[in-house]
Amino acid sequence: MDNRRSSTREFVHGITALILALFLLGVSSGLGVLKSIVDIWGAILFIPEYPAVIMREMFLEWRSWSRDKDYLSGEVTRLRNENANLRLELAKIAGEKIYSPDKTPEARTARVTLRAPMSWWSEIRIDRGEHDKITQGLPIFSNGYLIGRVSTVSLISSWAELITSSSFMIPAVIEETRELGVVEGDGSGSVLLRYIPAGRGVRSGMKVSTAMIGEQLPPGLPIGQIAGEFTPGSDGYTTYRIEPGADLSRFYTVNY
Amino acid sequence: MILVILWLVQDLLTVFTGGGMQIPGLFMLGVAYRLLIDDGSGDESLWAIWTAFAGGVLWDIRWIGIPGFFTLGYVVVVLIVIQVWGIIPPQGRVSGTGLIVFALLEASQIIPPALPIIVLGGNTSWGGFFMQQAYSLPAILFTMYVYSRKVRSSSV
Repeated sequence: MDNRRSSTREFVHGITALILALFLLGVSSGLGVLKSIVDIWGAILFIPEYPAVIMREMFLEWRSWSRDKDYLSGEVTRLRNENANLRLELAKIAGEKIYSPDKTPEARTARVTLRAPMSWWSEIRIDRGEHDKITQGLPIFSNGYLIGRVSTVSLISSWAELITSSSFMIPAVIEETRELGVVEGDGSGSVLLRYIPAGRGVRSGMKVSTAMIGEQLPPGLPIGQIAGEFTPGSDGYTTYRIEPGADLSRFYTVNY
Repeated sequence: MILVILWLVQDLLTVFTGGGMQIPGLFMLGVAYRLLIDDGSGDESLWAIWTAFAGGVLWDIRWIGIPGFFTLGYVVVVLIVIQVWGIIPPQGRVSGTGLIVFALLEASQIIPPALPIIVLGGNTSWGGFFMQQAYSLPAILFTMYVYSRKVRSSSV
């Protein structure tokens, strides 16, 4: 009996609530006071909602900042690449003027007289000495590209240190980007360009030559071109592998 | 009190998302949960009908602008829960009702937001509606977990 009474009450209340809801739905759009009620309720809820409003603003600000950062970062990378490509194009249009001592009238040639297997990538002996105005530090070339410099001079012969020697270190510049670094050999036939900041748009094929800040070597002596990139180190600098312009495995004479 | 907090949390989440994302109906989950754990000794059903009505009116005033949509949906959900749950005898509610509980809790999430879509059409997208259902699922499962713990502790 109680159950039936309870069910009847539930039914009556439920139907009443439904009718009221439908009534509200039907008439509320025409009620003029509704707008005021919505405003008042919104004003009351403004206080508890305030932290959520602040958090939302902070989130939107952070998202906007993050998007802008991504966009600008992408734009910088794009412009760097574009700049590098333009420099390459410019170099091509300019006719790729490469300093070439063996093509100049005063270029002189020396013959390689010794290249010891034990120091194959480190030094060579040439058949020119003090009599031929050879001086210590004089750059030597093959095929127009720097391959080393004179280290010791005697009366009729001299020793020259090759750029593949592990003790050979000279300042160099990437011509297209004007980034400065240090060229050094690894003693095993490779030539590396170190200390170039990562993310500077350096690409394979860019030319490397001696830099103005060198002590003995004049600036602009061509060395070779960028051949590849090693993984940037944790210090933010990248090492590049250089492909020397001269064939260091096959030269019998050098120019100076 | 807990339902007031749930209503406010639901409101704050909607504010946080700017109203552009459908938030799980935490308030109705709370109301449905109260009905599911009711032992039938008091006037829980009547309380639930009018609480849902009031919560719906306030939600409509805050977010829809026209009272009635969520009010109607909330009341319909409460009546469905009362009727379906009333069919099952109290002794049978202890075990084997997981699917029914899930269906009732799911109904509390499907029916209220579906009404504005059906009536207003393009005002709210079906995509948003289905996204809300996806967001609601963890809340429903959590409510089921709390319910099962409550039932287990009551039957021990």
